[in-house]
Amino acid sequence: MQEHTQLSHKQINDDLLRDILTVPKWWLPAVAFLSLIVLTGLGAFFFMMYHGLGVTGLNRPVMWGFFIANFVFWIGISHAGIMISAILRLTQAEWRRPITRAAEVMTVFSLIAALHTPLMHVGRPWRVLYWIFPYDFSRGIWPNIRSPFVWDPSAVGTYLIASSLFVFVCLIPDLAILRDRVKNPIGKKIYSQLALGFRGTPRQWKLQIIAGILLSALVLPVFVSVHSIVSWDFAVLIGVEGWRSTIFAPYFIIGAIHSGVSAVAMLMALSVWLYGLDKYIKPDHFDAIARLLIVVATTWFFFFFLEWVYALYTLESPEIALRELQAFEWPYGPLFAIFVITSFVIPVPMWLFKRVRRSAALMFWTTILVNIGMWLERFLIVIPGLLRRTHMTFDWGTYHPSIIEILIVVETFAFVCLGMLLFAKVLPLIPLFDIKEGMVNRRLIKVGRRVVPATIREGLPHHYYENKH
Amino acid sequence: MVTDPGNRVIEPYVETDNSAEARKAVSDGIINIHTVTSNRFWQFAALFGIMFVLGLIGFVMRLSSGFDDKAAWGYYVALFAFLMTTSSAAPMVAIAPRIANSHWRRPISRAAEIWTLAGCLNLLIYIPLIWLLPSLENGRRSLWFYSDNNAQNMDSCWFFCWGGGVPAYSPHIWATLAILGLIVLGFALLWLSILPDMAVLRDHGDGWQKKWGRKLALGWRGTSAQWNWQYHRMGVVGAFYFMMLVFVHFFISVEFLMVHVPGWIDSLYPITHAHNALQGGVATVMLTMFFLRKFGGYKDYIGLDQFWGLGKLLLALSLLWFWFWFSSFMVLWYGKKPSEQAVLELLVKGPYLYLFITIFLLVFILPWFTMIWNPVRRSVWGPPILAASILVGTLLDRIRLYVGAWDVAEKSNMMKSMLHMEMEEVPGTIPSLGYTDAFVIVGFISGSVLIFMLATRLIPAINIWERKEMLLYKAEVQFHRTKVMVMGKPR
Repeated sequence: MQEHTQLSHKQINDDLLRDILTVPKWWLPAVAFLSLIVLTGLGAFFFMMYHGLGVTGLNRPVMWGFFIANFVFWIGISHAGIMISAILRLTQAEWRRPITRAAEVMTVFSLIAALHTPLMHVGRPWRVLYWIFPYDFSRGIWPNIRSPFVWDPSAVGTYLIASSLFVFVCLIPDLAILRDRVKNPIGKKIYSQLALGFRGTPRQWKLQIIAGILLSALVLPVFVSVHSIVSWDFAVLIGVEGWRSTIFAPYFIIGAIHSGVSAVAMLMALSVWLYGLDKYIKPDHFDAIARLLIVVATTWFFFFFLEWVYALYTLESPEIALRELQAFEWPYGPLFAIFVITSFVIPVPMWLFKRVRRSAALMFWTTILVNIGMWLERFLIVIPGLLRRTHMTFDWGTYHPSIIEILIVVETFAFVCLGMLLFAKVLPLIPLFDIKEGMVNRRLIKVGRRVVPATIREGLPHHYYENKH
Repeated sequence: MVTDPGNRVIEPYVETDNSAEARKAVSDGIINIHTVTSNRFWQFAALFGIMFVLGLIGFVMRLSSGFDDKAAWGYYVALFAFLMTTSSAAPMVAIAPRIANSHWRRPISRAAEIWTLAGCLNLLIYIPLIWLLPSLENGRRSLWFYSDNNAQNMDSCWFFCWGGGVPAYSPHIWATLAILGLIVLGFALLWLSILPDMAVLRDHGDGWQKKWGRKLALGWRGTSAQWNWQYHRMGVVGAFYFMMLVFVHFFISVEFLMVHVPGWIDSLYPITHAHNALQGGVATVMLTMFFLRKFGGYKDYIGLDQFWGLGKLLLALSLLWFWFWFSSFMVLWYGKKPSEQAVLELLVKGPYLYLFITIFLLVFILPWFTMIWNPVRRSVWGPPILAASILVGTLLDRIRLYVGAWDVAEKSNMMKSMLHMEMEEVPGTIPSLGYTDAFVIVGFISGSVLIFMLATRLIPAINIWERKEMLLYKAEVQFHRTKVMVMGKPR
């Protein structure tokens, strides 16, 4: 049952804008600490750029290491925003309201984090432009559109633009509130420009809602295409056992949703603890997201099962040798066990208990486990697959990540956290207008001795429901 | 005084019309329609009955032709797969929206559940297929990793080979158990759902319907404990039905399809098959809904809301059809492996090319590019027409895949081609449809419809208790200058 606490518009404004209009004590030290990590990571990147990729653990045949595993992980996290925001918006799930903004913003920052790891991985990032744009007309050199190097930037770039637009459109009414409440003249001017003259007229609201729904529907195919394309980076490579599987596109997407929705649950718990938003993010919301996670995690596990079964079905010795390497040989065997246990075996049975589902702390720790497992999953796809690339029998190198790679990977995590903290300082992490709309639509129905929460049904005009057609 | 966020005074509770009169009006309204059977109903029932008899004749003829020529059974297996893809999947339209607490499902959930009864026919069709499945001793490739043969690399297959492998007839055992399980779960789901309505028939019906109600209601009185019991059991059985449906399609797509085509290794296809079933199930219920509204007298119960809700689902499933197909096709096509190119040559580019194009139009292009348009999706006629298009496309798709697969099952040297996963030759033509196959296809589809029609005489086609439950949660309130619908979210 959705707990019913009616809050006034003023109270919602005060609660949700408090941390923008004032500075919490913990904010500056946290930002300083995260900035330090980001700067260290960037320093490591410049060091790598100066000395070359030799400072990493990459070698033949493991040409893709931490960077690409991390890239796939962040692309996965970025799916949370659209899953939570677009799908739940289209299905009119009421519980979405307090968590959509944070999920959308996390999409944008995780996409930026995802994009910069392959850029660093190429060693000389400026050369990326050559893959995407024709740079020498006279010699007839054109980008190879059959290459994943062109597919990836196109898909991820489109997704980044669409997600940013989605966040911005959903921000407009809140920007207008900030414009009216911020006293600093520079801030007021910036918010005024960004609010695009929003005054809350019926026409503006109508356009804002239509734009939100249209963008939700349009961004969904982009969301599906992005991770499909990332999966095809692997699946089209016929020379690497374990990668060439038709299930990869849906398997990557459901895995992305699993890790992304888990990340949103983590973010919800952090919002409650750091910003004291327990009036808005309640045990009901954790319960709803945990139920969603049970379905997503079980579906993901079925896909994982099919991927393995069909790998063994081929009965080809290189394929079976790869699976043995992944599951039984040091150091990948223990990592494989940790991956399965943390991403499915521990969290899903725990989420079956209502007490766990309604606890912010338990949801936080179980979803952390999921993301540890899902990071390892990407690692176990990338590295053992390349290690078993038997065509290059002249070089049987192994892979150990160097400190440079570790620093850059840590930097991506710090970057996303820093981005979220900075965003929350200038814009509300919970959409004010969405919460107010939910409050306006809320009603109560008394059924016997029970009070049932109800909501005004959005959608078709009222006369449609009367079957007068 | 209770106020809204804008400080306007609002009533503390929304009033719903849950009076005894309103509840009785719902029961009486549905029972009145349910108890009357028109002549037209019996005319159609007779027509479908005659066609079903033809189907049974075709069934006997097919059995008498023996099990040696596998290619001759292609259309028969395609029909089996089609019925599993439609009638067996239809109950998902009741299960999924019930779990998601979507109110629009209420008038159509019963019709979706009644389709589980057609599972009896699926079982009948399945029985001869047990003799057609090759055992693992035959040297075929299998998910069960049978270790007692001379297959190369078998010893490396550690996952299932420890302890001497599995019985040679494992696929037969597991597929049979899964199909039986699905049918039993379907019956259990239907029975749980009709319990309160049978009590209504027991208390308000006449003659044989009263007796029928008494027998099936099992002392249902509507106590809180009984309602809680029913609600939880329906949730559990529904969830298991969904999981079993996915597993059944996993078995069908592997054992009856992929293992017969050397070189076809497609880890996504079991999921594609399950997705096709969801699409076929939604299309089946959409058409059922249309006929119940148009000819069954339920116009006041099945409205635009139901067509709209289900239409959105069908639209999404049509797009997913393309994505699943493309995800498989893309990887197989891009890889350029000769064995996989031969599979594509057989099922997509070769003799079935025009059939494939037709399927592509009927199952994806037509539904997607028309239902994306609001006037079509928000209408009573649009979604059913597209549902018919999807059902025809799905039947053709089953024919393309199963007839194609069973055509090569015998032509290749099973032992050699299965172990090396290479098709020896790709047939240049489609096996022709004989009158036996035509009888079986038309007859058993008609048989399923007949079972549905007869079941609606015994069980109300509209769920009475779910409609009454709606009275508790639905209200109309004034909102500024208009009236709006308020819906309770009890769970």
